[in-house]
Amino acid sequence: MIYDLAIVGSGPGGYTAAICAAREGMRVLLVERDRLGGTCLNRGCIPTKSYYYDAKLFHAARSSDVLLNNSHIAVDFAKMLERKRRVVGTLCRGLEHIIHSHGITVAVGQGDLLSPREIRITPHGSEPYQVRAANIILATGSRPTVPRGFTVDGRIVQTTDEALNSPDLPQQVVIIGAGVIGIEMASIYINLGARVSLIEMLPDILFTEDADVRAAMREILIRRGAKVHLESVVLEISKSEEEAMVLFKNAAGEVLEEPADRVLLATGRSPVLDGLDVNRLDMAFSGRFVRVDKRMRTSISGVYAIGDLVGGMMLAHKAAAEGEAAVADLKGVSRPVQPHRIPRCIWGLAEIGAIGLTEEEAKAARPRIRVSRFPYQASGAAHALGETDGFVKLIGDPESGEILGVHIIGAHATELISEASTAMSLEAFVEDLCEGIKPHPTVSETLSEAALNWNNKAVHLPASRWPR
Amino acid sequence: MATEVVIPMLGVTIETGIIVEWLKKEGDPVQKGESLFVVEADKVVTEVEAPASGILAKILLPVGQKVPVLTVVAIITEPGEALPKEYGEPPAAGRSANASVEARNHGAEPVTEPAKVRKPLPQTVPDGPPRAVPAARKLAREKGIDLARVQGSGPEGVILYKDVATAVKSAHVAASRLARQAAERSGIGLEGIAGSGVRGRIMKSDVARAIKEAAAPHLGKVVQMDRMRQVIARRMAESAFTAPHIHFFTELRMDALLSFRQQVLQDFENRYRLRPSINDFLIKAAALTIRDFPLMNATLRGEEIHILPEINICLAVALPGGLITPAIPSADQCGLSEIVRQREDLVRRARAGTLNIDEIERGTFTISSLAQYDITHFTAILNPPQSGILSVGKTRSQLELNNGQVVSVQTCMLGLSVDHRVIDGAMAAEFLQSLKWRLEKPTFSFLHV
Repeated sequence: MIYDLAIVGSGPGGYTAAICAAREGMRVLLVERDRLGGTCLNRGCIPTKSYYYDAKLFHAARSSDVLLNNSHIAVDFAKMLERKRRVVGTLCRGLEHIIHSHGITVAVGQGDLLSPREIRITPHGSEPYQVRAANIILATGSRPTVPRGFTVDGRIVQTTDEALNSPDLPQQVVIIGAGVIGIEMASIYINLGARVSLIEMLPDILFTEDADVRAAMREILIRRGAKVHLESVVLEISKSEEEAMVLFKNAAGEVLEEPADRVLLATGRSPVLDGLDVNRLDMAFSGRFVRVDKRMRTSISGVYAIGDLVGGMMLAHKAAAEGEAAVADLKGVSRPVQPHRIPRCIWGLAEIGAIGLTEEEAKAARPRIRVSRFPYQASGAAHALGETDGFVKLIGDPESGEILGVHIIGAHATELISEASTAMSLEAFVEDLCEGIKPHPTVSETLSEAALNWNNKAVHLPASRWPR
Repeated sequence: MATEVVIPMLGVTIETGIIVEWLKKEGDPVQKGESLFVVEADKVVTEVEAPASGILAKILLPVGQKVPVLTVVAIITEPGEALPKEYGEPPAAGRSANASVEARNHGAEPVTEPAKVRKPLPQTVPDGPPRAVPAARKLAREKGIDLARVQGSGPEGVILYKDVATAVKSAHVAASRLARQAAERSGIGLEGIAGSGVRGRIMKSDVARAIKEAAAPHLGKVVQMDRMRQVIARRMAESAFTAPHIHFFTELRMDALLSFRQQVLQDFENRYRLRPSINDFLIKAAALTIRDFPLMNATLRGEEIHILPEINICLAVALPGGLITPAIPSADQCGLSEIVRQREDLVRRARAGTLNIDEIERGTFTISSLAQYDITHFTAILNPPQSGILSVGKTRSQLELNNGQVVSVQTCMLGLSVDHRVIDGAMAAEFLQSLKWRLEKPTFSFLHV
């Protein structure tokens, strides 16, 4: 049998493409060498969020003024691990059911691209076999990058792959890399009571985010006791039986050391090219990543690539959108994924939800921009929640009213950003964000207020106290 | 009785006017006093009322033409009345009132009073209400269209009736807010734009594409230039716009050359297995003539004219996507058989795409022949940095008077284009004449080979 579409990798990109293609009546083969769901479900988004909310609950309980005897509250890390496994297990089974209900064939084994129409599948411990498909989508994802010179032992020096299955809780963590992964893992460890040091090569944490958001997150981290070393380069990790010492050079050129019982390498992720014989296939690359056009087509006719494999923002929903775009192209429809329409969410000590251009990018892209803010301090809901850190920052084109970027840091920011995403995909004006009536008291009012404030009309701000 | 409608006197100093919009179509019933058209004169825009009730039988002046005031621009007839036949075909630019004096004698009612002018529109006020003709205002009011969001297409942005009509149509099309705004600002209608959004909703990018297409209508299919096309485009433009070309033509008697070729053909085939073509004789003759006119073999470099030592004759070879000009080196010194051999080889390899750079770039003079087409003569553009190019038309039979006898002769038009910066007319003429002499006396010329 020749499949209409074979997909290598069943992460959010791969399985979304498989389901979309099956809904279009295609005969679909999904190849997965590990477990369905890829990094997102098994080693990324979902497990970290399970930990994140447990850790946040623990911190909230510990720091509560209204609970009694809360200084004695302790966390059962084994239970946390178990809950995470249960969550992942439930979602994996659910995904498996959905995939089967669509008549998608799942092949378990390593998938190697032999030619533009052929895949060799090697199941664990049995003989390889070949399948043919009219079109192929490569969605093999990424794995943590281990910088040259460092070794992951899995116990003291870890990547997120090991950290998320570690049976014990560290007391003193050094995180190398203060990007999204580093910041999220830092928030889990800090909320669980560990001391955290972040070492970052770049001049700031979360370097792709808006400067105001970065500054706010940095401030919260430091307030919560984290050490943040910017423009710092790790020179050496020396290990003893139970501990490690991380030697690094800081921005001033001083060589410093941080002790740790856990070192987490969060220095980014690299594309998984295991099934791609790069030399033989003559596939074009952009740096480390597979090169694709707007329709996700690689340089090999009939072969698409999506998700982390093609670089850009390494996000599950970006991979899923690219999977949809690839399937749309198979049906002759162009549905390019626009980078400025992909929301970015970070679960740090405060949540970050962002979409579109940063203020700096917007200034470079447009002759005139207008920025407005609304602080969580002015939100009734934020006070009731007890989370008044944060703000909404809105960037628009004063000429056309186009929404250029929305940056939210604070409670429920990751949920709140969806409204901006919807508005932007509908090509709404800034003013449309405050057109609908918002329920009170909710933090969703903050986005409306920021939109009102864009025209100096915010209700819950004193007259011209908060400059736009 | 038919009533003539004229562009009214708009002011003492105003002599001409332009109709910017007709508010009624031919065949529409009109009421006296109703707005009929919008006229612009010296930046004053006014609506003109119908001078009589009836049917707008004929519009004589289309939109956009400047005519003197009092020009007859339309005819209103009474219901059931036939259009007077002198108005059957509209003249290109309306009729002047003077010309219509004759028409009056043919039944049209004399113009007793010019058509009434409504109050001129106010001049633009920054941030004030938008300027719109009253008919446009009325329509906008009826259909609930905000005039502030309508782009006027009239003079100085005055909103015309049709602008509001377009906005009315657009209002019912599904489009994003930004798309609608972009369409309004550029004054294009949303209807007819293919929407790429959900359920065909028109998005900003769709409007941007439509604006681009509207700006460059009927572009048709876009063909990317390949490398050869790019080189031809660049070199030909460079040649045409830097070298001042002069062109010369002379008619060549071909009989002697054709019979000379016939005489040597058999011998060449037997001895070398080669078939000399007329082009080969042209190449040889041109090379020999260039010896006597070294400037024909020159190239201009800055303030210097460089006379090149080798006479390398290019032959233009047509290829599917362009043309290429490989050169036969030192053609003046080659025997005819060598020229034939080289020419055959170069043409074959030009078509196969296996020429090397030197073979393409070594040329010093070019021959371009369209003799196989039904083309008598043409002017060629110089092949830079060369200073001369010969163009060869088809060979044809002509009658000639020879000692009182009409005889049939074979002729061919030979053209020469030269770079006037290097070569003057007299020299070019002498060169061409000398070449003609050589080709018309082939036995004599080619004896020297």
